[in-house]
Amino acid sequence: MTADIEIRNVNKHFGAMSVLEDLSLSIKAREFIVFLGPSGCGKSTLLRMIAGLETVDSGEIAINRERIDHLPPGKRGIAMVFQSYALYPHMTVRDNMAFGLENIGMSREVIDARINEAARILEMPHLLERKPGQLSGGQRQRVAIGRAIVKEPKAFLFDEPLSNLDAALRTRTRLELAQLHQRLQSTMIFVTHDQVEAMTLADRIVVMNNRRIEQIGSPMEIYERPATKFVAGFVGAPAMNFIDATLDRSSGNATARFSDGISVRTAISSDLLADDKYSFGIRSEDVRIVPPGQGNADGVVDVLERLGERTLIYIRLGDGQQIVGSDVGNSRVAVGHKVGLAFDGQKSHLFSAAGRAWHAREA
Amino acid sequence: MIESKRRRRTVANIATYFVLAGLSMFCIGPMIWMLLTSLKYEADIVTQTMQYIPRRVTFDNYVAIWTQSGFPRLIGNSITVTFLTVTICVATGTLAAYAFSRFAFRGRTQLMLGYLVVRMFPAVMMIIPLYVVMRGVGLVDSRFGLALAYTSFLLPLFVWMLKGFFDSAPRELESAARIDGSTRLGAMVRIVMPLARNGLVASSVFIAIAAWNEFLFALMLTTGQGSRTWPVGLQLMVGEFQLPWGVLAAGGILSILPVVVLFAIVQRTMVQGLTAGAIKG
Repeated sequence: MTADIEIRNVNKHFGAMSVLEDLSLSIKAREFIVFLGPSGCGKSTLLRMIAGLETVDSGEIAINRERIDHLPPGKRGIAMVFQSYALYPHMTVRDNMAFGLENIGMSREVIDARINEAARILEMPHLLERKPGQLSGGQRQRVAIGRAIVKEPKAFLFDEPLSNLDAALRTRTRLELAQLHQRLQSTMIFVTHDQVEAMTLADRIVVMNNRRIEQIGSPMEIYERPATKFVAGFVGAPAMNFIDATLDRSSGNATARFSDGISVRTAISSDLLADDKYSFGIRSEDVRIVPPGQGNADGVVDVLERLGERTLIYIRLGDGQQIVGSDVGNSRVAVGHKVGLAFDGQKSHLFSAAGRAWHAREA
Repeated sequence: MIESKRRRRTVANIATYFVLAGLSMFCIGPMIWMLLTSLKYEADIVTQTMQYIPRRVTFDNYVAIWTQSGFPRLIGNSITVTFLTVTICVATGTLAAYAFSRFAFRGRTQLMLGYLVVRMFPAVMMIIPLYVVMRGVGLVDSRFGLALAYTSFLLPLFVWMLKGFFDSAPRELESAARIDGSTRLGAMVRIVMPLARNGLVASSVFIAIAAWNEFLFALMLTTGQGSRTWPVGLQLMVGEFQLPWGVLAAGGILSILPVVVLFAIVQRTMVQGLTAGAIKG
């Protein structure tokens, strides 16, 4: 079973504090949507509102064009996986999975059949008679997902389900979730503050900040054409470099000039830009390390981060600003070296004071 | 150097045990004395020289208090009153504690504090207005009336204790239960209560013991055999010219037996950590 979800002009307050402001969002059936944002941006609240665990102050939420925002959580046909797994500790795994089905009066045979099927999918038939206290973190996570699967819900809601797992297990579970989505073809909404989870899992990412949606788009759209400076800075590791720049708009494409005289020719049309003061943004992989004097600017290496397949190099420019550049894995550069930086103007971005972004025209 | 440190520690240990043993004797001593007295013949109780260990053991005192006085009736009344008090507290207090623990509503803090204020006044001060009210509604000298009076000062305690246990039950479990189709009440009964079971048992036993031992309210609010509880009954057995020590001691021992049993139960339940595994542990 699958469903599209429509959120229209939703508002939410906690006391005097506004948590979500006039938020609208359409989620297509079978889509894997990720709500991404820093803590306190309202993403979990939005998820809990879809689940029915928080009330909607104003606005509408509809699943398959049927309004559900007034229904209790159990009547919305959704399943949720929590960060803490929220397994009922006094019940066996089997009873945990059966609980929701018993509540809707399903027959014992159907319940057993569904539990066995889910246990098979998740490779945990041997765990069914155990209690949550006897399971490892990863196993508990599986049970929590199993408890969602047996309900055959219209949509799966995940509230940061991977953040309690260790790094290796998190990567594995992430992969399993992607496979599960392909297999079940269900609508899934996943809340996280981890951009890697968002990039790897999502069909579309909803980047949220400060009660609002900043951008909705495919992972690569979000990464390559961030709509705002916030999105540009939040998605991608290390964070995008930002440098204050004055624009020279005399030719077709704007040229950004930095305070110490460095200039980079962008691929952004001057016609689009009204102002002179912008923030110039460029990702570390678009800043190449070259011999001194051969790039746009020179600087001194502050810190090296060797990641194996590439090396991140933190370089201090003449005016004291730090830029992150990228070099090959076995880079010969060492701390204290003077190096040149070559900015790839084609891939640079400009951000207005209000945070709006401009990019090169799409190829 | 090391030798002296070790010696100092030994001395400290001995001192600690000395204090602990002294305090234990102070607490348990009277009870042991009462037990010993209850097993003595009347002639061996009042003697020229103190006799701690009885030379002759008898159960006559127990037989006497059980057959020749209204003691069984008193115990029966106490059981009824205690049972009623605990029932009222559990039925209403559980819901109240859950509401205090889970909902943010106007006046929540004030109400919680108000519950405590009731306990700040000495019982002696409350007793006269309470008596007037009870007489007005015709509940003087009734076991139900006494249970209600007990509830008035035990319920706040119960709610405060239970709220703490409810607070420690993870909220996400209830969210999960509600998504699984439970109502709020259903989630409370099927998920939160089993988790707070130990707390519920402990709080109930606490209430039960307090109601069982209560004296002042019982003295004022009961007048006849029909509703009198054991603490009052036992006290009234102290005659003007005679003091039946052995029988009184036997009554005392019989009366604290249920308390001892209840404590044994609480201890076992409280030790079990039921919430293990509810969340990442």
